[in-house]
Amino acid sequence: MRVSGDRAATATIVLLAAVFTLFFLLPFAGLVDRAIQDGNTWELLRTETVRKALVLSLWTSTLTAFIAVVLGTPVAYLLARARFPGRAVVDAFIDLPIVLPPTVAGVALLTAFGRRGLIGEPIEAWTGFTFGFRTTAVVMAQLLVAAPFYVRAAKSGFESVDPQLERVAYTLGASRVRTFVRITAPQAWPALVAGLVLCWSRAMGELGATLIFAGNLEGRTQTMPLAVISAFEGSSLGLSGAVALSLILLAAAMVVMVAFRLAAARGSTA
Amino acid sequence: MSLQFEAERALGAFQYSARLAAENELVVLFGHSGAGKSLTLQFISGLMRPGRGRIALAGETVFDSARGVNLPPQRRRTGYVVQELALFEHLSVAENVAFGMPKHAGRGRVRDLLALLDLSGFEGRRPRTLSGGQRQRVALARALAREAPVLLLDEPFSALDDTLRHGMRRELLRLRNDLGLTILFVTHDLREAHFLADRVAVFDGGQILQDGVREEVFRRPASRRVAELTGVANILDGRVAGFDADGPVVEVNGIALRCAASAAPLRHGQAVAIAIRAERVVLRRGPDGHPRPNQFAAVTAEQFAFGSTHTLRLRPAGAGPAVEVELAARPYDVLQGASRRDWVVELPPADLHVMPAD
Repeated sequence: MRVSGDRAATATIVLLAAVFTLFFLLPFAGLVDRAIQDGNTWELLRTETVRKALVLSLWTSTLTAFIAVVLGTPVAYLLARARFPGRAVVDAFIDLPIVLPPTVAGVALLTAFGRRGLIGEPIEAWTGFTFGFRTTAVVMAQLLVAAPFYVRAAKSGFESVDPQLERVAYTLGASRVRTFVRITAPQAWPALVAGLVLCWSRAMGELGATLIFAGNLEGRTQTMPLAVISAFEGSSLGLSGAVALSLILLAAAMVVMVAFRLAAARGSTA
Repeated sequence: MSLQFEAERALGAFQYSARLAAENELVVLFGHSGAGKSLTLQFISGLMRPGRGRIALAGETVFDSARGVNLPPQRRRTGYVVQELALFEHLSVAENVAFGMPKHAGRGRVRDLLALLDLSGFEGRRPRTLSGGQRQRVALARALAREAPVLLLDEPFSALDDTLRHGMRRELLRLRNDLGLTILFVTHDLREAHFLADRVAVFDGGQILQDGVREEVFRRPASRRVAELTGVANILDGRVAGFDADGPVVEVNGIALRCAASAAPLRHGQAVAIAIRAERVVLRRGPDGHPRPNQFAAVTAEQFAFGSTHTLRLRPAGAGPAVEVELAARPYDVLQGASRRDWVVELPPADLHVMPAD
């Protein structure tokens, strides 16, 4: 009696897991199936529009990830180690874009940096420079939406490093910078890499904030996800174009994931 | 002096105030957890700042509240081994040891230190692949590599089993002798303190209650509290009844006990406490024909076996105090401690230490 009850439970668990897994697999199978049926994916990928979108996506995401590391690492370290007034507020605001719809982030960016924005207006008045419809705006939108993923991961990475290690390093004569470079960062390495990958991937996929703040200009602000939207809305690429672009994004994501797993595995055994 | 230390700090209700000096010796900082021992090491290393005070290492003032001097830990010459060891797990054993090494020291120095601590051949290993004792030695080698005149050790052997601890303690004594270091060693383990200490500083509630040569502290505690902390089993209450040629005579439970001379002045009739360690009490089966002071008859009330030693709780047959006695296994057997319960107890005057009553 007991045994058959266990069997039923096991069967139920396997069934539920199978349904869930199938739900994840089917959409990707659909993409591949559609691409094979269309048969012109390769030609589409070689069109000017797709090429430009791909190049733009790649370099803006990479730049975004770079800026996130440069500016986000000190913030993450301070949040992990220091107790200062307003810490909770900074912490909450950095989390905000993670839970906020990216479209809201886009509107928020417009109200701050747009032509009538909080500081966008004075900047245009003094220098004539506007943020909107430029690649700069693409990076800004990506940064606001994606950088929190890096900061979050880096912060928990730094928190997981025993402060006692740093204190001992100080007593061994190591400066704060040397301690960070030789002890803290290497110990937090897997988390830093994870955060970097998350940030980069999120930037690659950024749509809402970019669309609203940077617009959808081919070659300047039209990144891959925007090109997919345009294809749906009837641009020259059509639905087949959307499928082709999606496949590229999927392939890029796969490559990054595999590379990340390898890096993480290496980091944890190092 | 390799170390001159004086510091005060209030941490909430906890008031820390201590003063210590040491020169080429191993000073055990002894006390319960939270007594201020580890805090002392943090003040010296610069990881924590005293409210007031002055600290000098090998003649160099590293902290002086009056003159506004407060060198960062990086510039204080101490080697610090923390309780959790805090080895750098992502670095090899050799890299750990080399981490704090002065720039002029060559790679040979790492090799020498590893050889000194019996770690040759482990250069390329990661700390986590080592045994507990090896990890302790890596931490010690890393601290020694700093070439600091003062070594601060915070319960470094607490995670080890007894066999390893014995080995490490011997090693530490050897290092102190070979390298001529001043070592501050924090522990709450009485046996460890006994084994290692040249001097003992007894901490309680943020204060040093007594600081002196090991035998002095263990056999002549300055107060009842020190006697309790250092594991004196017999603290007898009495009253000064008179003085003879050697020292005071104290009346305890109806008998007069001749005691060791006291440094503090005593009055006739003054209430005092007498300390005698359990292992200093003499037991006999009966009078041995010689007239001896401080003898009385007693009966075994309770006893405990610890393998190598036996602890007996005795109650007096007539006048005299109840006492706890520690006997080594062999004398215990010879005296038939297991089968016979009647004893003659002798408290040697030289081992009876008179303290203030409270």
